[in-house]
Amino acid sequence: MNALVILTIILFSLMTLIGGKKGVRSFIALFINFLVLLITVLIMTDSNASPVVLTVIACALISAVTLFFINESNAKTKTAFVSTIITTVLLLLFIQFVTDRVMVQGFGDEEVEGLTIYSFYLGIDFLQVATSVVIMSTIGAVTDEAISISSPMFEIHRHHPTISMKALFQAGMRIGKDLLGTSANTLFFAFFGGYLALLVRYKDLSYTFGQIINSKVFSAQMITIFCAGIGVALIIPVTAAITSYVLVKKSPAHKSSKS
Amino acid sequence: MDMIKKIPRKRLVFLFILSTVLISSIYFVYHNHAFYQDPIVQVTKVTIIDEQKVSDGQGNTDIIYTQAIEGKLKNSPQKDERVYLENEFSQSRVYHPEFQEGDDVFVTIDQVQEGDDLTGSIIDAKRDHYLLLVCWFFILVLIAVGRRQGLFAVISLVVNAVLLSLALDVYIATADITLLFIMSLVVIVMTALSLVLVSGLTHQTYAAIIATLIGTFSLLFITILVLAMTNAEGLRFEEMEFLTRPPEAVFMAGVLVGALGAVMDVAVTISSSLFSLYEKNHQISDHDLKQSGIEIGKDIMGTMTNILFFAYVSGTIPTLLIYFMNGAPLGFTLSLNLSLELTRALAGGIGIVLAIPIGLYTTIFFINRKRASV
Repeated sequence: MNALVILTIILFSLMTLIGGKKGVRSFIALFINFLVLLITVLIMTDSNASPVVLTVIACALISAVTLFFINESNAKTKTAFVSTIITTVLLLLFIQFVTDRVMVQGFGDEEVEGLTIYSFYLGIDFLQVATSVVIMSTIGAVTDEAISISSPMFEIHRHHPTISMKALFQAGMRIGKDLLGTSANTLFFAFFGGYLALLVRYKDLSYTFGQIINSKVFSAQMITIFCAGIGVALIIPVTAAITSYVLVKKSPAHKSSKS
Repeated sequence: MDMIKKIPRKRLVFLFILSTVLISSIYFVYHNHAFYQDPIVQVTKVTIIDEQKVSDGQGNTDIIYTQAIEGKLKNSPQKDERVYLENEFSQSRVYHPEFQEGDDVFVTIDQVQEGDDLTGSIIDAKRDHYLLLVCWFFILVLIAVGRRQGLFAVISLVVNAVLLSLALDVYIATADITLLFIMSLVVIVMTALSLVLVSGLTHQTYAAIIATLIGTFSLLFITILVLAMTNAEGLRFEEMEFLTRPPEAVFMAGVLVGALGAVMDVAVTISSSLFSLYEKNHQISDHDLKQSGIEIGKDIMGTMTNILFFAYVSGTIPTLLIYFMNGAPLGFTLSLNLSLELTRALAGGIGIVLAIPIGLYTTIFFINRKRASV
């Protein structure tokens, strides 16, 4: 039997056993998100399509599946969704700029070795592709944080309907700060795990420090780590601001307390 | 003056040290050319001298540009002399970048006769200064948003990276220890350090540390078992990049380290929320704690598995594109390029889900110990 199939079955059984119906939905969401990613890559092969635009659409879909399908469509998930999209776009502009300056698009010397039989003259902008890689690596964490901040903020507002916008914003920031360390760690370790082979290579072939930090592959991975960190930090004020605005300015509780 | 007086002294000292380090490190990285062996050229002028349309058998078209680069040597005996270089890059920039004025590049200088213009060829771009700028931006954003917690996140990243690097040094220096064994030891240290940094020396932290370790090692055990039972069928180890060592060992160590952060996240979420329930009501029953724990677990399971999935799989997008655009069949491309990443994501997912009940029971155990002690 294929190892992947068995691992998938184990994961599915565990999710069902522990998570019940919500566990099953979470598993299906994972599968749908995989399809979204795959279809995005397939559309990217058309050189007329802009990879960055496709990435924004894909991120919106992925975040929608995670928020609306696993949880449900309500005010909490909607504000989390809007916050995710705004953060993604902000982050995207930053990453695009950075990738261009640091020149980490495409493949490094260490990666080209395995791809020599393929043509590289493909007519699609790999600068944009590099940007989408970074954004896509972070989208899961950004969505997770958005809902983890907006949901308790709704609870606070429910218990204290007269809370001011500023106080609510500050409460959101406090919740976010507590999440920052663990969310950043989740991504950092995931990247470390993925880059282990590269680190072993650098040490085995005794690269100098200068060679390592200037190499394209290492720079690309450090940029991914830094941008992911900026993403999980940036989502905090964005979500706190949007949620407090929606709750205080738009909520019926506030209007009724005024009249 | 009043403004400055209002800021606590400790923070003032911190800000002073931070800005000193920031400014001096940036100054250094922009003037470190003398420390490099390879000659470095700063680009002063670029002109496109040739462009050529190409197309391949799959109907992909691209343009190859040749740029003539004029620059000034920043180090080596011929410092400050003018150098002429050429660079070829394609519109898609899959491999070679397009250079702009102000970029620094590593070069080899050709042998020329006395009096002739210096020429050379480009090795690669110098990226350290840009990397440092992004690094500082990352640090500042994290501190601005998270203050103390942001600083701790940065510290934890640095400490963990150093620990991993040291562990790899030990692995390479000693022939007879397996990578997985060393990584297991480091995982224990990293877990304890990261979690203490996140939430201090409390019962809640101890519960999270123990739950993380049990969760991570169970996922490792399950993955090793499955791979052994199936003879790792379907896993294309030969496609692993950057290899200089047996792929299975490096891969399993990667699975272990990669899932650690996510399992920690779950363990912390469960233990901190159960402890806060206990703080609010010391009489709360084990049954109620269990119920709440499972509810929290259900809420985070989906998003957490998603995080790992995208963190792993997104990196393969450029390779997938190269395969697809060269007409490689879908199934072949996916099984070749995604099998390892999917295994990582699935193993991590198993760890995340397992961490929920494990975290639950460990935390309840610690709560009951605390109950008995008061």
